[in-house]
Amino acid sequence: MEEILNNIYQMTAFSDIIAANGTYLIMYLLAFVLLYLGIVKHFEPLLLIPIAFGVLIANFPGGDMGVYQADEAGRIVDAAGNVLAENIWEMSLPQIAHDLGLMNFLYYMLIKTGFLPPVIFMGVGALTDFGPMLRNLRLSIFGAAAQMGIFAVLIIAVASGQFNIKEAASLGIIGGADGPTAIFTTIKLAPHLLAPIAIAAYSYMALVPVIIPLVVKMLCSEKELRINMKEQDKLFPSGQKMKNEKVIKIIFPIAVTTIVALLVPSAVSLIGMLMFGNLLKEIGSDTGRLFDTISNSIMNTATVFLGLCVGATMTVQAFLNWTTIGIVVGGFFAFGLSIASGICMVKVTNLFSKKKINPLIGATGLSAVPMASRVCNEISTKYDPKNHVLNYCMSSNVSGVIGSAVAAGVLISFLQNMSL
Amino acid sequence: MITNDIYGALQLLVVGMLTVFAVLLIVINLGKLLIWAVNKWAPEETVAKKVAPAAKAIEAIDANTKAIIDATISKITGGKGRVTKVTKL
Repeated sequence: MEEILNNIYQMTAFSDIIAANGTYLIMYLLAFVLLYLGIVKHFEPLLLIPIAFGVLIANFPGGDMGVYQADEAGRIVDAAGNVLAENIWEMSLPQIAHDLGLMNFLYYMLIKTGFLPPVIFMGVGALTDFGPMLRNLRLSIFGAAAQMGIFAVLIIAVASGQFNIKEAASLGIIGGADGPTAIFTTIKLAPHLLAPIAIAAYSYMALVPVIIPLVVKMLCSEKELRINMKEQDKLFPSGQKMKNEKVIKIIFPIAVTTIVALLVPSAVSLIGMLMFGNLLKEIGSDTGRLFDTISNSIMNTATVFLGLCVGATMTVQAFLNWTTIGIVVGGFFAFGLSIASGICMVKVTNLFSKKKINPLIGATGLSAVPMASRVCNEISTKYDPKNHVLNYCMSSNVSGVIGSAVAAGVLISFLQNMSL
Repeated sequence: MITNDIYGALQLLVVGMLTVFAVLLIVINLGKLLIWAVNKWAPEETVAKKVAPAAKAIEAIDANTKAIIDATISKITGGKGRVTKVTKL
């Protein structure tokens, strides 16, 4: 009888959970907190809920839903030290599914190959309107300033001695606030760090409603936040008005892709797909079916699998170690510094310009479209209910997507072939 | 090794930020150029005002039908009534 009860106990997950001294409980707590933020607080629920559920299901011992991280040679070892795969890069996908489980199959097929990030960029492009950017082209430059966090944290991470330059670049790209770009860069430069970097990037993106107000509160005065952009526009009207917006919006993605492809070819897989999605949207009814597919079916499917797979990378073994904690802390600094540098550039511009700019427009220079703009609009309307800055914020926000993809392209082209 | 990496990171900071600024400046000026060119060579076509279908229906009534309606109304009202509007039900 005792033996039967013991066998039943060994069959359940309790035996492993208790043997692990509560480390699994930390992961469950983390999953519940993320689920709470997504469901109750509505922090980016489309992203946070799949990630949180991925974390939850990945951390039940015996469930085989956690993603195993391969080392640089492709070797996979489990928590007990057993070698599960000598070289995962030589395994076929059915073999991965059979030996390592469903989630590893999805992860190595969709994410590790670099397939999903450009697909998501295509969907983002289809959902992006470049109209606000074209109407406020002057404000787009703040999308460049907000990339400072990427390079600042790259230097800090290298100086800490914990990361080599490729790993530091992958960590820094979290500051771009763009999940697909962070994943794409990490796959190219430091694939063994993909799990913690993806988690940090997506978690901070989901926490934009918390991080932006924090940085804004630290750096901006009430007077600055009350700057009304519409009044400034009336006082100092901009020169050109678009007479034929439709034609401009169709030519724009084609022209930008061509220019970026010529200057930074390594960014084409991201920018090219972004602009392709946008082009299908702007053409209108002729490509309506394609636009509908990429902005709904494909985008939603990609988000579900990306969220679940990223969450499933967050296993006890992958998460509770110093490298991951370093990445989580460094990622936060990268994010915060990007927001801060955008704000600072607005402040410097305001020193020399008669037409004042609300610093919130600088804060949205990082990607995270359109959530960053929405959050900044909420902040500005809190100080002055008539001061809607959404359209102005979208200008720097959208250019931030281009900026972070270009920054990623620079990092990849400089570091990919560097031997350490 | 770390010194080399820091030097490399500083180099990336300069090159990276310059490239991002340069690309976005090009994109901004490209946008301005596009707006200027489109405004000059392909300003929006003036779309003819759409005529409401009901109004079209009234115009579609030919002169004979209008004359018959006028004559009928005139006879019924003893010459006092006049047709001002014909609406299709």
